[in-house]
Amino acid sequence: MAIADIPILSMLRTRMQWHQQRQQVLAQNVANADTPNYRPMELVAPQPQGTGGLQPLQLTRDAPGQIAGLVDSSTFAGHHQQYEVRPAGNAVTLEDEMLKVAANQMDYQAATQLYTHSLSLIKLAADKS
Amino acid sequence: MDFIKSLAIAASGLRAQAGRMRVISENIANSDSTSQTPGGDPYRRRIPSFQAEFDRSLNAQVVALGPVRTDSSDFRVKHEPGNPAADAQGNVKYPNVNPLIEVTDMRDAQRSYEANVNVISATRNMIQRTLDILRNS
Repeated sequence: MAIADIPILSMLRTRMQWHQQRQQVLAQNVANADTPNYRPMELVAPQPQGTGGLQPLQLTRDAPGQIAGLVDSSTFAGHHQQYEVRPAGNAVTLEDEMLKVAANQMDYQAATQLYTHSLSLIKLAADKS
Repeated sequence: MDFIKSLAIAASGLRAQAGRMRVISENIANSDSTSQTPGGDPYRRRIPSFQAEFDRSLNAQVVALGPVRTDSSDFRVKHEPGNPAADAQGNVKYPNVNPLIEVTDMRDAQRSYEANVNVISATRNMIQRTLDILRNS
């Protein structure tokens, strides 16, 4: 079994590739922050595949008098996309993009750290044989 | 590698903003350039434009400085009969450059430039983290 086939490593690799791709999209948004009629783009968040993913907590009804949950179970934060379209037709907000770049960088760092630790775990197991 | 692409895209932004700064400094430097002939038109303010270009090798939209157009607004007219550039009525046309607008534009260019520099340093950090995997394992 090759190192690359170990599930956690391949998962982390997918994650890192996603962050690389997202960095490219964000760089594109920032570079075009003054281009007329440019709308910022964003990468679709990765969806966990298979049954392994944790399901978000759901509200349920156990008596007929109760009303259905008002909270959207998928997320509490909700979608608060803000658009500020300037007269030139450009909708890039540099502050938002900077926040996204910083978050992307930190998430990528987390993934690489996990990768390093997984590798050292494997090394530990191989050393003491 | 995608990080190199991110760097190239951000670099295109830097280039475009630097070009914009060049046009702005041209405007500010020429804010008092009158015509050489009596009654002629002075320096006309220039406006940079940006356009998104699809770069096939990067597979992404980079930004480039588009054609530099001229501002068609009216010139400032001053009554200076002694000036060699004055017309028959003694009026001299001065460029339609407003220093306040130019300075505001310059701050805007500076801000966009800094944003691109931020992207570059963030990307560089991420490359560094990738190399750290090799170093620590």
